[in-house]
Amino acid sequence: MITFENVGMRYGMGAEILQDVSFTLEKGSFHFLVGPSGAGKTTLLKLLYLAHRPSRGLVDFFGKDLSSLGRDDLPRLRRRIGVVFQDFRLFDHLTAFENVALPLRIKGATKKQVQDHVEELLAWVGLEERLHAKPATLSGGEKQRVAIARAVINKPDLLVADEPTGNVDPEMSQRLMHLFVELNKLGTTTVVATHDENLVSAIGAPVFSLDKGQLSVRPDRGQS
Amino acid sequence: MWGRTLQFLPKSKDREGLLPWVIGVMLFLCALAIASAAAIGTGIESWSRDLASNITVQVVVADATERQAQTDAALTLLRATPGVQSATVLASSEVMALVSPWLGDLPIDANLPVPALIDVALDGVTPVNTTALSERLAIAAPGAQLDDHQAWLSQILDLAAVVQIVLISVVGMVVLSTVAIVIFGCRAGLATHAEPIAIMHLMGAEDSMICRAFDLRYLAHGIKGGLVGIAFALLTLWLISRMATELGEGLVSAFAPSTDFSAWLLLMPVFAALLTMATARITVRRALKEMM
Repeated sequence: MITFENVGMRYGMGAEILQDVSFTLEKGSFHFLVGPSGAGKTTLLKLLYLAHRPSRGLVDFFGKDLSSLGRDDLPRLRRRIGVVFQDFRLFDHLTAFENVALPLRIKGATKKQVQDHVEELLAWVGLEERLHAKPATLSGGEKQRVAIARAVINKPDLLVADEPTGNVDPEMSQRLMHLFVELNKLGTTTVVATHDENLVSAIGAPVFSLDKGQLSVRPDRGQS
Repeated sequence: MWGRTLQFLPKSKDREGLLPWVIGVMLFLCALAIASAAAIGTGIESWSRDLASNITVQVVVADATERQAQTDAALTLLRATPGVQSATVLASSEVMALVSPWLGDLPIDANLPVPALIDVALDGVTPVNTTALSERLAIAAPGAQLDDHQAWLSQILDLAAVVQIVLISVVGMVVLSTVAIVIFGCRAGLATHAEPIAIMHLMGAEDSMICRAFDLRYLAHGIKGGLVGIAFALLTLWLISRMATELGEGLVSAFAPSTDFSAWLLLMPVFAALLTMATARITVRRALKEMM
């Protein structure tokens, strides 16, 4: 579904952050992305959610060569990708409902579709009582669940999460990871970047390990 | 035009909040400059119309008997000329009143050799060849001098044209300055809202969706500023026209804006809003193209 072949990435004239990165994400797969700080995790994630184009190498998204796509083709592709940021990146002036509704509205959903889907999804992440709360009044865990709801409201083909459990307590981490696993079972290809080895062990999914811009793959160790 | 407008931008920050006021000031200056240019045009037009419908003949002869004889001859010729509606000799008292600012109040029989003045009203239908008339006057009354005010009027018209060009240039400069200010404001707005814009892009928003949010915001800035500016401009023009009315007829009274002109001025906020929005749209669209 998504293929990277010998991908390199550098910012401006700087050194390469990623070097010869190659991997394939099959439809419905679940991968962790681990590595020390500065290893290039965030850069790789940015390539995955189309915030940047690679400096070199081949990238294929859903059967389309990225280099052949123009800027105007990207919005359609991005709507198939959900992103959960470590720092949530919610719109502070919008309510939880309005934040989650944005991707649907971008896609052109009707008012009724927005109403039904957003309420249903916020109930699924346990925030049915917080529909009209603004981010400033939400806890870290609640914010992250709103961010997850926003990322998956369009039923994306690919879900990318950058340290989604970085700002929450261990119990909330478990709950959030459970959400990701549930989504993955519904067919969403999922990539989760994390520092938390306990989380990786608990899920037992294959792991992409980045070190100094080079990627290695640790195979599935079986769910514990 | 604004289908699917997503209000993802937070409320205006302080910097952006000043923009309507700046637009208001610019529109105020623009409206005053346009009103002034229009007033000069109207004033000159009515003045030149008045002056073109009158000529003055003065009979400059020192001897009173001879002056009277030449005045009568000139009157006869003028009244017989096609296109002349009337020719009237100004009474001595009126002539003395005209020279009193320079000579002071003198008795009418002061024995001064004051020229005789004939006020000639033209009917405005039959054109009068003033050069030919002047030549015939010179034969009938050698001391008669015809003044059709053209030399003086052409200088005034030249001056008025220059002033109008300057005022129109001021309008042009104000419009360009407004565009520049909106561009700077827009760039500042883009920098301030870089994060929400990036997130919108990552969620699959097209540039047009992001542009629409800015369109609406800058349209609102333009309308707000435009209404404030035009309100102050109309108030100022009304005050000037009141003062001018008290001064009486003439060039200054032309500052009183007509109903039609006021209606045109009321369209200026719409123009300001559209200009602001169009500038913002072009600026934002160009900036977005630079993003991934």
